[in-house]
Amino acid sequence: MTLNLCVLTPNRIVWDSEVKEIILPTNSGQIGVLPNHAPIAAAVDIGILRIRLKDQWLTMALMGGFARINNNEITVLVNDAEKGSDIDPQEAQETLKIAEANLNKAEGKRQKIEANLALRRARTRVEAINVIS
Amino acid sequence: MSCSNLTMLVSPKPSLSDASTLSFRSVLNPFQQNPATAAPAAPQRSSSPSSAPIQCGLRELRTRIDSVKNTQKITEAMKLVAAAKVRRAQEAVVNARPFSETLVEVLYNINEQLQTDDIDIPLTKVRPVKKVALVVCTGDRGLCGGFNNSILKKAEARIAELKQLGLDYTVISVGKKGNSYFIRRPYIPVDRFLEGGTLPTAKEAQAIADDVFSLFVSEEVDKVELLYTKFVSLVKSDPVIHTLLPLSPKGEICDINGVCIDAAEDEFFRLTTKEGKLTVERDVVRTKTADFEAILQFEQDPVQILDALLPLYLNSQILRALQESLASELAARMSAMSSATDNAIELKKNLSIVYNRERQAKITGEILEIVAGKEEENDHRKRQDRKEEEQYLAHRFRGSFNY
Repeated sequence: MTLNLCVLTPNRIVWDSEVKEIILPTNSGQIGVLPNHAPIAAAVDIGILRIRLKDQWLTMALMGGFARINNNEITVLVNDAEKGSDIDPQEAQETLKIAEANLNKAEGKRQKIEANLALRRARTRVEAINVIS
Repeated sequence: MSCSNLTMLVSPKPSLSDASTLSFRSVLNPFQQNPATAAPAAPQRSSSPSSAPIQCGLRELRTRIDSVKNTQKITEAMKLVAAAKVRRAQEAVVNARPFSETLVEVLYNINEQLQTDDIDIPLTKVRPVKKVALVVCTGDRGLCGGFNNSILKKAEARIAELKQLGLDYTVISVGKKGNSYFIRRPYIPVDRFLEGGTLPTAKEAQAIADDVFSLFVSEEVDKVELLYTKFVSLVKSDPVIHTLLPLSPKGEICDINGVCIDAAEDEFFRLTTKEGKLTVERDVVRTKTADFEAILQFEQDPVQILDALLPLYLNSQILRALQESLASELAARMSAMSSATDNAIELKKNLSIVYNRERQAKITGEILEIVAGKEEENDHRKRQDRKEEEQYLAHRFRGSFNY
């Protein structure tokens, strides 16, 4: 029995195939999902989705969204998703530095909110490359 | 052949009679017939509606014809490129559908499970409106007919309306054309300038969504409206204004007039061919909202889940608007380039006619010149011969009268 994972973003389908296990980053912590999981609906935070195929773990950076697990079908709807292997390490590091600089420069509630979001995203992308186990 | 020759052709005879040398007059005399033929030709040329006033010079005409030919090639190529891009834009819309369908399904089901009247999500908070943010989607490049102008006119109209209502406003401009327009008008407060990409992706939509989200949540604005061009058909596009925030928890999208479209009804366009011509067909598809399974547990508080869903919805709405805007820009460019090509073909035809007429006139002139020169030479020799004869005779008779 395998899980069927479907990761959807507004402009394309990022992943649509069978997996053995996933670890989902949610607002209330990480959830591990194995076959025959009870049906749940969860809000997905900005973080790393780990996918296990056979004995290999793949990472994917998710930028926040929603996940529904039902009858061995996992549907993850996110604003944007990038496979760890698709991210350029140098570019991600630079984006992280820029985001940190912007946060330091931010003044006022609104700029701080934006800068925080950007920083979290940049950090997730950098972490997605590093954690390849 | 320079311009001066022609002006002499059409000038009246008295100036010709001023010529001093014999040969000059005889050369120009045959041309006296030509003013009669050139004069009716000239008014003919200037009276034809689409041709320019009398151009002179075969060489200049030839350069003009070449440049018009090149222009025609370029405009035709641009039209084909735009047609190919419309197809790609259409594919992008089709790719976005699984996401929005699933989202709508989940949104409906969660709303059924909750009593949405007493939830408190920042994005759905309806506040008394004091300041409005307008997101204006324009294109990046020109040569697309009235596309950019119509959306900017609509934006100006909306700004005037808001001013009349006494509301403050700010603009978020997306696209190079809109950016340059607003930069030249510093009296309109612009919040941020964003560039559109060639094909709008989730990243661009995310940037706009972030901006709009932070503006709304930090209570700097109380309402966000989205201005984009709806793609109606290849020749028609409609600038529309949609209220983006505050969102309704049921996921309806409302027009400024309060007309709400159900989120489950999805309209999408398809580029097809009908009777050999490219046309666009719009289909309305209603997504199936299946009954939710009662045993589905919420991992977090339903409010938190709704809180996570609505930004997704915001994102997909913005992306949808950008895609439609791009599709209408491409359609406008296609029709603009197509009519430019037709105009270029007609202009080339007219120029060729003028060119040929002049070329023929020049050849006729040269032939007449040669013939007249030959005649003159013969006349001259005959006169010369007669003079010699007279002299000889006179000399002989003089001699004889001496006796």
